[in-house]
This record gives sequence, C-alpha cells and structure tokens, in this order.
Amino acid sequence: MKILIAEDTADLNRVVTVMLQHAGYEVDSVYDGEAALEQIDRNGYDAVILDIMMPRMDGITALKTIRAKGITVPVLLLTAKAEIDDRVNGLDAGADDYLPKPFAMKELLARVNAMTRRRIQYASRRLDLNGFSLDTETLALTARNTVRLSMKECELLQLFMQNPERDLGVPYILTHVWAGDGNADQDTVELYVRYLQRKLASTIAPAHMEGSRGKTYRLVLSEVETDDRT
Amino acid sequence: MSTESIYRDAMPALCSVRDALLDEITAIRKDMEEELGMDPIEHLLARIKSEESMREKCRRKGLPETAESALEKIYDAVGLRIVCAFVDDIYTIRDRLLTLPDVEPVEEKDYIRNVKPNGYRSYHIIIRYKKQHYAEIQMRTISMDTWAALEHHLKYKKDISGNTALITEELKRCADELASTDASMQTLRDMIRDL
Repeated sequence: MKILIAEDTADLNRVVTVMLQHAGYEVDSVYDGEAALEQIDRNGYDAVILDIMMPRMDGITALKTIRAKGITVPVLLLTAKAEIDDRVNGLDAGADDYLPKPFAMKELLARVNAMTRRRIQYASRRLDLNGFSLDTETLALTARNTVRLSMKECELLQLFMQNPERDLGVPYILTHVWAGDGNADQDTVELYVRYLQRKLASTIAPAHMEGSRGKTYRLVLSEVETDDRT
Repeated sequence: MSTESIYRDAMPALCSVRDALLDEITAIRKDMEEELGMDPIEHLLARIKSEESMREKCRRKGLPETAESALEKIYDAVGLRIVCAFVDDIYTIRDRLLTLPDVEPVEEKDYIRNVKPNGYRSYHIIIRYKKQHYAEIQMRTISMDTWAALEHHLKYKKDISGNTALITEELKRCADELASTDASMQTLRDMIRDL
C-alpha cells in the first residue's frame, strides 16, 4: 500500500510519514501541492493526504486538479481551521474525508486504514448470486457461458443483483443508473431490462427479469438448471 | 493405392441428399420470410466432404479408409451451413427441419447454449435423411461465423510464434462481446416487431 503525504510543516510531515511507515505503508512525502501533483503523475497511490494551506499550490486546488484528471484515489484533507466552509469546500472538491488539526496520530491512522480498506473492496468488485456472477471491472456476466455487457447494462444488472427479488421502480432505476442523462426515460429502462433478460438467458443464468414498461422490474432467481435444451 | 473413391458409388446419392436438404431449407426459408417479413438466412452453403479430407478424417479417427467408414461411421460426408442474422431463427429453422418426415435427428451439439471454452458458438445437428444417409447441419449467426473464420485462421498459425495465450484470451473476449451484441440485436428486433 502506497501513500502520498503533502504537508508543508516539516515536523508534522516527518512524524506522519514515520508513523505510516511504522504501520506498514510505503510513504512518499512532499511539501507543497505542485510537488504532490508531480508525484501523482508519476506514481500510483492507494491514498493521498493533503494539507489545505500549502505554498505554491494549496490542497484544494491540487485536489481539484487530481479529480479533473479523472484520478479516483481516496483523498484525506488536513484542515488547519476548524471552519465548516473549509470542510465543505474540500468535500465538494472531491475529498473522501477530512481531519481538523490538531489531530491524534491514531485517528489519522484509523482514517487512512478505513480509506484504503474501502478502496480494496471497490477494486475487487465481483458480485456472486445464485450461481452466476458479474465482474464490474471486465463487464463479464458469467453463468454456464460468459457474455460481455456494456457499461450501462453492467450498472443496471449490478443494481438488480444488489436488490434480488425486489420490485424496483423506473424512477429509482433512472436515478441510480442514468443519473444526469436527461434523455433516458422509461423506454430506455425497458430496453435495457430486455437486453439483460436476453443476456441472462444466453449465459444460462438461473435468473430472469420480470416487470412491465413504465412500472416496476424485478430480478427473479430460479433453481440452478442442470438438464439441457434438446 | 486404390484409385477408387472412398464413397465408392454413393456420390450421386450424396449429391441428391445435399440437393434435397437444400430444397427443404429453401422451402422453410420462404415460409419464414413471409411470416417475418425478412429473409432469416444470410448464407446457405452445402458441400460433399472432399475425398482427401474424408480419408484424413478416417485416419484421424483410426478407421479403415472404406465406404463404410465414410458413410456409416462418419456423419458429415454431406454438410450444410446455415448462417442467420438472428439467434432465434436458428432454433426456428431447427424445429421446422425436425418436423419433416424424411429428417430424423441423430445427434445434437448445441455450442450456443454450451459454449466451447475458447468461445466457439454454433449449433450442430446430425440428421439421417430418408433412413439412409447422414448429414451434418451447422447453424450460426453472422457474428459467430465471422469469429469462427478468424479463430480457424489462428489455428493454422499457432505453431509459428508470438503470444498465443493473449490472442486466445482476447478471441474469447471478442466471442463473448459478439454474443452480447447478438442478444442486443435480437432484443431490438423483438422490440420493433412489438411496436
């Protein structure tokens, strides 16, 4: 696990670095936001700790730049002022967590541990249900056979697999899968549910879709089929 | 070395089985075209297995190179390939073929429902025509056919060099993506027909 810390107070930077190294992390430390960006461009990190008040480039600007590049690494902000605006700005800019100074070392460590743990869970995202599986990284739906889904199909199936045997309404589905896409409507959902129905069938997955256009849809699980089509 | 054909004098009979099956399929095709409003078949091919490859197959299977092996032990002296645009039409054609009084199913290999580990998809059925000659009918979609053509090409290049493991894995991924597209296209056709 590799962590980047950007903190301009040399003493604090050193103490945090040593503490994280002691906890088993590999740590790179820098003293301003620009240096942090340079490091992030060169290396992959499992978590980044950014102080807000730093010379050359502050933590919020660095964070915004990281997110603008599409880098999803978990970021913990260190806020000097215990002001609410600072925390809100930080979270809005894409921080995963913040810690107001002064803080206890063991709290910092606990928060870093929590962030990297969550990261691992996201990374190995494979859903298994009733004898079939969905790999959200490769978009592979696998039962007896495998098919590769499109991104939207994968997100939709993921939603149903997380809510098996439950009626999901069209508005709920639209907010969870098509958030921000104003063109998507009940016809879009209907079509994608039908795609899933076909694809579940072609892998011989023991599950199928039920529901009707404009109302609710449900992922219905069935017994694992053993005999073959003749 | 004998110069006699491995099929002995059965060649005219094999040709007439091939032609009869082509006629049967053409009739099914016409009926379906009327019902669907579109031709379900993209390509229809038929062949008699060549002398050379039949002898090679006998040797590979450890059978004597005789007419009995070629006509009674090996079932694909007559072979047909039906390439469809949509997956469902494969099963419709299969079902209609099996209702014909002269066609008797012998063995089915459904590699669409039981995909081969390398990603190969196709529906194969061996039938016996008029209780006499055997024929193998292979049915697949255009995507499956395209994939099989490329995979076949790779087989003959395998001994050369390069990262064949990567290529094999990627071909499998392509097959699974094509199958996904086939399913989407089928869904779209169903949806258009429901309108």
